[in-house]
Order: sequence, then C-alpha cells, then structure tokens
Amino acid sequence: MKTVVERRLTGVAASPGVAFGHAVTSWDPEFVTLNYTLEPSEVDSQVESLRRSVDESRQQLVRMQDKLAGAVGGDSTTLIDAHLLILEDRLFVERIVEKIRAERINAEWAIQAVSSHILEAYDRVHDDYLRDRRGDLEDVVRRLLANLRSYHPLTFDSLRYNSILVGRTILPMTLLELKSPRLVGVVTESGGPLSHTAIVARSLNLPAVMGVDEVLPGLMSGELIIVDGDEGVVIRAPSEETLESYRVRVQENAETRRRVERPVGAPCVTRDRISILLGSNINFKEEVDAAVAHECEAVGLYRTEFDFFRDGPKPSEARLAEDYAYVLSHAGDRWVNIRAVDAGMRENRDGWPATGSRGLRFLLENRGLFRTQLRAIYRASVHGHARILLPFVSTPEELSEARRINADVRRRLSERGVPFDESVPMGVMIETPAAAESCDLMASQADFMCLGTNDLIQYLLAVDRTDLANLQLYDPYHPAVLRVLKRVHTLVAPTGKPMVVCGELAADPYSAAVLLGLGFTRLSVNVGAYARIKRMIRSVAVTELREMADGILGMRSRDRIERRVRDTLAKDL
Amino acid sequence: MTDREVVIGHKLGLHARASARLVQLAGGFQSRICISRADRSDGTEADARSILSVLLLAAAQGTRVRVAADGRDEQAAVEAVCHYLGGGEGA
Repeated sequence: MKTVVERRLTGVAASPGVAFGHAVTSWDPEFVTLNYTLEPSEVDSQVESLRRSVDESRQQLVRMQDKLAGAVGGDSTTLIDAHLLILEDRLFVERIVEKIRAERINAEWAIQAVSSHILEAYDRVHDDYLRDRRGDLEDVVRRLLANLRSYHPLTFDSLRYNSILVGRTILPMTLLELKSPRLVGVVTESGGPLSHTAIVARSLNLPAVMGVDEVLPGLMSGELIIVDGDEGVVIRAPSEETLESYRVRVQENAETRRRVERPVGAPCVTRDRISILLGSNINFKEEVDAAVAHECEAVGLYRTEFDFFRDGPKPSEARLAEDYAYVLSHAGDRWVNIRAVDAGMRENRDGWPATGSRGLRFLLENRGLFRTQLRAIYRASVHGHARILLPFVSTPEELSEARRINADVRRRLSERGVPFDESVPMGVMIETPAAAESCDLMASQADFMCLGTNDLIQYLLAVDRTDLANLQLYDPYHPAVLRVLKRVHTLVAPTGKPMVVCGELAADPYSAAVLLGLGFTRLSVNVGAYARIKRMIRSVAVTELREMADGILGMRSRDRIERRVRDTLAKDL
Repeated sequence: MTDREVVIGHKLGLHARASARLVQLAGGFQSRICISRADRSDGTEADARSILSVLLLAAAQGTRVRVAADGRDEQAAVEAVCHYLGGGEGA
C-alpha cells in the first residue's frame, strides 16, 4: 500500500475554528457538485442520469445551432459543432461511464475527474490556441453538470459525512446556498479574511482558510482534510495523532461556544456603568434569527446584496418585500439598518473590488433598481422598525439626490394608498475618506450614520484588502486611522446624530476598545463576534480607555500603539 | 494495418475547425484510425474519432504525422485522411 505522508499547506486564517471532513472540490466558483461513492445498486441509475444529461445537452446545443444558423451563421455554429463533437466523443463520455462503474462514484464526480485529466493534458501542451480550447471543454462540462443538477438538486444535507468545500474561488452566495450542518469548513486558493466570502463564513461559524496556494492540484474529492481557521493551515492526509488532536479541539471549541455564546441576560455596560449599544451585522435574512438568539439590541447593518441577487440581477419587488418583512418581523422591536445594495461591491472573480461605480453611485445610475428596493423596504416597514442606509456615499450632492428619489418613492406609494411607516429614517454609510472628512455636512442631511471601517481604512491607507501579499499594510493601528476615527467623532458629536461603527474594527476586542476610548458608544458586529465583544465591553472601564486613546493618539509608531492597547486590555481580556 | 506519413497542410494546423472536420471524416469509416506525431516519440496517439484527443496533438501546419488505420476499409481510410490532412478538400 502506498504510504501517504501528512502535508501542511499554509494559507491565511479567514474564519476561526477548526474542522475536519471530506473534501468537496468546487470545479468552478459557481458550480459546486457533491461527490460521493455509490452503493452497487445506485450505479445503473447514475449512468442513466449521465446519458440523460448528455442527450439533453446535445438537444440544447442543436436548438441553439438552429437558432444561430438563421441569425448569424459562420463561426458561432462552428463553436457549437466543437461542443457537440465533445459530447459525441467516445473517449469522453464512455470514459465517464467507465469511471462511474469502475470506481462507483457519482456522475458529477466522474465528469470532473475525466475532464480534469484532459484539461491537465491540455495544459501540458504548450500551445496558446489549445489552451484557449480548454474553454470548449469547460463549457460542455458546465452544461452537463447543470443538466444533472436539475434532476438532483444540490444539498449537503443528504451527505453521509461532514464535508469541507475547497475551491479556487468560492462565491459568498454559494456558501449561503449550501449552508447545512454537513458543511463544516471552507478552503480557497484566492481571497482573504476581509473578502465577503470570509465575512459570510464567519457569520455561519464555518472555519475557513483562504489564500492557500495550490491546494486543488492532486486533491481528490472525498479526501479527508483538516481546516484550521485559527492558524490558517490546511492539513492533507493527516496522521492518526494529528487527527486525534483536532478531534479534541473540535470538541473543546463546541463546548466553549456553548458556554461563551450565551452571556444572554447580562446588560451591555462597562465596569464604570456606561451603556454601550451592541448590534449585529447580518448578511442574509435568516441570520436575523441568530442575531435575536444572541439578544442583540439592534441590527446595525443588514447587507442586502446576497439576498437581493439571490435569483438573478433583477429581483421582484414582492420578493424583496417578503425578505425585508421576514427580517423586520423577526427582529421584533429592534431597529434594522437595511443598507441599500452596494452593487459595485460584489467582487469579480479575482476578488478585485470595482470602485468606479459602486454604492450610492451605482444606485443613482440604476435608479429603477434603487426605487424597487426602496419600495420593497417601505412595503415591509409596517412589520417592524426599518431604517434605510445608503452605501458608499462620497458627496453631499449624491445624498441630496438620493433623498429626492426617496421622497418621490414615498409620495407615489401614498398616492397609491400603499400603507407604510412614515417615520422610516434615512442614514448614510461613512466609509470613504471624503465622507469621513465631511461627515458633519452629511449629518445635516441624514437621520443617522454608520461608520464602515473596512472600506475607510482601505481607501485611507491606499491598500487593497483582498491583496494577500500586502495584508499587513491594512493596519488598524496606523496613526492615520486613529486620527480619522477621532476626527469623525469630533465632527459628528455636536450634530447629535447617532453613529454606529459597523466595520470589522468593532469585531476585534482590541480595536473595539480603542473605539470606545475615542468616544464611540454604538457598535455593530457579525454574529460570530457578538459574545466576544460583549465580554470585552463588560470587562472594561471607559475612563481607562479614554486615557489609553489619548495616549496612543500622540504616538508615532504603530507597534507602540498596538502594544499600548494590548497592555491596557491584557488584564481584562 | 495500413499506415502512411503526411505533412499537415492546413494553415491553422489541426485546430478546432480542421479537427472537427477530421473527426466527422473519420467517423465515416469502419476502421479504427490513429494519428500520432512523427516528430515525437512520446507515444501520444490520437483516436481520429475523438475531437479531444485530436486537439491534444497540437499539430500545427507543417507538422509531420503518421496516420494508421486498422479494419476492413483501412486503405481507403488512410487515403482519405491523408488527403484531407495534406490540405485537400477531402471532407
């Protein structure tokens, strides 16, 4: 028997916790398939499903060809010819069938195994043209998998084992679609702790390691792997000793979570009796239930992108209104900051954020979409305490324009006799350096504000938070960050408008303590960090933190700043 | 078995369109037809009826390949395939 040696692959810790399970490799960021071994009795039906999918794919291509032949002809039908020939290629289809029978694996798995093998052969040939032809095979595979999925909808719940999703890139949406107790961990080759996929993994309490080089080559679906989201390590072929030590850690973590996660009932006040409002950030509607279970005081940030684009680029108003009614009614008497879609923010495949037209700029360019979402929020507003939050605002003029559209939407709803809550406030995200510097001007046109520290730091320090090589540059202890936070607080305080800090800065106990020291009294954090931050708040005295804040504002070195913060809190945390 | 060597005459070599035609042409014969590169001894052999394996030859214009057929119509098959690969309008 071949001896397998344990291998540790290093990446970046993106979501804490540890897990072990069987790898489910994602062939394509949008296509996760479940790979499993078959009972002997299931083999024939898998082969039949495959043949059905091949037939159906062929028919779809022929129909497309007929349509195109009339319209354009020429090259595009040649392309379809190539796809059809692949489907008719015995080397391809018959090899898949053989694999299903010989290895007793499901059709999806066999398709990926055979195509990966061919694609690897293509990559070995140094021919640019041929490398481009990979796309033909990939398209055919995608079509086959899509047709298969229509007979076997994807669900991790049916798995007999715990699984870990491994892919080059995994979209946040995919994690949400797949969430199941059987999905226990995530590994990606791209991305990092500040990517949206990581945010979602944390909110789902899924340990994740990202930015792991070369984890996919050679990794077989079904292989047992360990994800260590505390250390940022993935272990392949773990030895029995390693596995045992992780078994213990998984159990310990589960116990600590049970203990720590419910400091419920305890009020959110500091040792010197200052009340801090601690809200939750949620990324999809069902997460409101987790927020409520933690007895959070409000939903400081409901990121609506994931729910918004769930069914495609143009959601219906009725469906959105249903989503928001769900969140508002489940939140009960807590207010919910529903942030209008920050659409430019959806990362492209390489994880680069597009800044040209995102947030409010995007909404003002896509007014139909903006109005649809506003109407949906108003329709749902009768179910609870909705507040509208505008994303990525950078000029007071944009804000005025958004307010004008909002007023118009309200007027039309009234004219049509649609009942809604007239008192829904409107707030702005302060997350660009421009907005931070002019937040007093913004305050005059807004009912409340949210300080989004993730983007603010990124744009202030001119670093890309998805760029792993330069992650250390994204530094919350940079003196410029402290000064901007201080400045924002100084500008906003006299306006009397409430401000909630809802970035990751609030979710780290140390930087959250800095925020309290600078004078902020409202924080909102992802559900996974809620208990930790509440514990920090209950263990500190704001008077001491103020002193610390004054001290670090005068420091030049980020290392000294960080040391001072850690020393101040060490005794409490 | 019948075999013969031929130099690829198509301007783009055995790329998608030419390969697709070749596969269709080969499908018209009963014999099993194999194509390998005469300039390499790596044993890469393509089944002329499989587009995926033909593409893998990455045979550009000017590449010398060996065409071998085995079956009842092997002579006609080699003749037709070589004619096509050599740049004739055999398909």
